[in-house]
Amino acid sequence: MLRPFRLEEPESVKDVSELLGRFGESAKVYAGGTELLLAMKEGLVHYERLINVKNVKGLDEVTSDNGMIRIGALCTHHQLETSPVLQQRLAALVQLEQNVANVRVRQVGTLGGNLCFAEPHADPGILLLALGAKMVAEKSSSKREIPAAEFFVDAYETALEADEVLTEILVPAPAAKSGVAYLKFGYLERPSVGVAVALQVNGGGKSVHDIKIAVGCAGPAPRRVPEAEEQIKGRSVDEAKVNILKAGEIAGRAAQAISDLHGSQEYKEHIVGVLLKRALQNALTQC
Amino acid sequence: MQFEKEVEILAPRQKVWNFIWDVDRFIACVPGCKEAKTIEAGKLYSATMIEKVGPFRVEFPTTIEVLEREELTHIKAQASGADNKIGSRMKLSLDVKLRDQGEKTVLGFVAGVDILGKLAALGHGIIKRKADQVLDEFAQAVKKRLEGDF
Repeated sequence: MLRPFRLEEPESVKDVSELLGRFGESAKVYAGGTELLLAMKEGLVHYERLINVKNVKGLDEVTSDNGMIRIGALCTHHQLETSPVLQQRLAALVQLEQNVANVRVRQVGTLGGNLCFAEPHADPGILLLALGAKMVAEKSSSKREIPAAEFFVDAYETALEADEVLTEILVPAPAAKSGVAYLKFGYLERPSVGVAVALQVNGGGKSVHDIKIAVGCAGPAPRRVPEAEEQIKGRSVDEAKVNILKAGEIAGRAAQAISDLHGSQEYKEHIVGVLLKRALQNALTQC
Repeated sequence: MQFEKEVEILAPRQKVWNFIWDVDRFIACVPGCKEAKTIEAGKLYSATMIEKVGPFRVEFPTTIEVLEREELTHIKAQASGADNKIGSRMKLSLDVKLRDQGEKTVLGFVAGVDILGKLAALGHGIIKRKADQVLDEFAQAVKKRLEGDF
């Protein structure tokens, strides 16, 4: 049962930040509420104040300029799966969003809320990590960009300061001759393992010029796996297809998989390797 | 959830043993533990365990009972507590063993931790990782205190 709380309705990022600063741990930002209200109803957390950010204008748009895709933190998953900008520039994110949870969650759940709650079994952070995204964090007097690799600190923990508000996600638009893929595996709606690959081949399409690999869901937070990337980067496409098995083993271990009802540590590590191989093949076909 | 840890401490076994029974100093090494009280020396203690995972915070008023005690060698204890606000319970069994290794003392412990109730909704994996982290921090804090002699 939901215990009583006070609802604040600020209309600017500055006001949200000030409320967070004033009320500290007794207040929490509330956007879609799909994770937060569930935890509150379960009685796992309680806040005296929820700060509804849905009245803050300008945080629910997707735009693209100068090779940068800008996603407002209040964009719902549904907005993202139907965004013409993303459909044209970042199909992998559209595909990911189409498969987030269920239709009710996608209608109200926001990308910003998903990232800030940092539930380990969440898809978007993994792909954003592979894409080299940055999170724009604002407070009353300042604004900074946090690389996705630094944003996810631990399970349910991000690098946001107590009075900072996530306002925008900046994603570099994939360059020419590049491919992006996100694959996941899980039972019901929560993914058990998620793997993202973003790569670029050279002009002739014969070798992998650059690759970023990220894994998540199996462990506490999404993480890049540079050691696995080294197995592929700079190699011919044929070599890459052979080395992906080794890269999969490395990525599996790097996932910090935890044994639970979704599978044993060893099983999840194996699945990371399987998904990585498929994601590489998928990304290569896009180049 | 079962955990096994060992920490080598550059101190004689008697000193490590005495430290374990110095409740205030010992409790200071347990992350999130406060308000330790001796109810019956050598047998029954109470403390409050406060732990946090992201926004989730639990507070377990805990009773610790010493079941077996073999001088300088072995302690067996159990602890249990409940956080009624979030409807969860914690049970802990602890086997502590001390042995000499040259000038060092090896402090080994096997801990069985069970979390029951709503907190389990966070997921077994997350709780296990947190418990493992707490035990690691505890082992390192004991080592630091004894070797630093403060």
